[in-house]
Amino acid sequence: MAKKKVIVACGGAVATSTIAANKVMELAKENGIEIEICQIRISEIASNLDSNTALIVPTSKVKRDYGVPLISGMPFISGVKLEETKAAILKVLREES
Amino acid sequence: MIWEALDSSLIVTGLDAKDNKDILKKLGSVVVKEGYAKESYVDALIVREEEFPTGLDVDGVGVAIPHTSVEHVNKVGIAIATLNNPVTFVQMGTDDETVGVQLVFMLAVVDPNAHIDQLQRIVEMIQDKAMLGRLMKAKDPEEIIHIIKEKEETLS
Repeated sequence: MAKKKVIVACGGAVATSTIAANKVMELAKENGIEIEICQIRISEIASNLDSNTALIVPTSKVKRDYGVPLISGMPFISGVKLEETKAAILKVLREES
Repeated sequence: MIWEALDSSLIVTGLDAKDNKDILKKLGSVVVKEGYAKESYVDALIVREEEFPTGLDVDGVGVAIPHTSVEHVNKVGIAIATLNNPVTFVQMGTDDETVGVQLVFMLAVVDPNAHIDQLQRIVEMIQDKAMLGRLMKAKDPEEIIHIIKEKEETLS
């Protein structure tokens, strides 16, 4: 089975998505889940979607529906509601693909 | 440790700013003047902030972490400002939710993956409401660096 791909995106793929991407990777590792991280700009999401894409974690606003679960990565920056976010991400990553 | 890399010439306490653009200009100009970023940095910050706002409401404390693309930056640096009065920032991840900000961490990023530890440290600090309160009351750049150093010593 191909690894699940998680797209982590922010405005410029500079600061916040780097932090969120690192945290999502740590979270997956701690839970023994192998994933592939794709860290890009919000504007590049559509062109990076593929059949392995299981989740999008943006740290900026995303208005479009990409047909893939989307969980805000903001808590990785602010720390507010961090545990809920981690649980929601794990739930998606553990689902049978 | 980021406190060792902090440059007191990039830290300004008790700044007066009339809105978020004003603070981006004032603090961004310091970053440019000190050689950390190119002239284009300030305008790029303003454009980026409008499209992708960076205000954060950390459990009632407003913080902003403005930054922009690497092509406007010369070398990695963190500028910090405390404001006498809060200015309104739109919250990151939203269109219209605002937050009153009195503490700004402005990032000059060259290669995010090379500086992931520094970025993580900043985030860890931002999530510490008590420390944010201390930073906002700091009287000068040296006190800011001292507070950050103390915090980092508890993290390592």
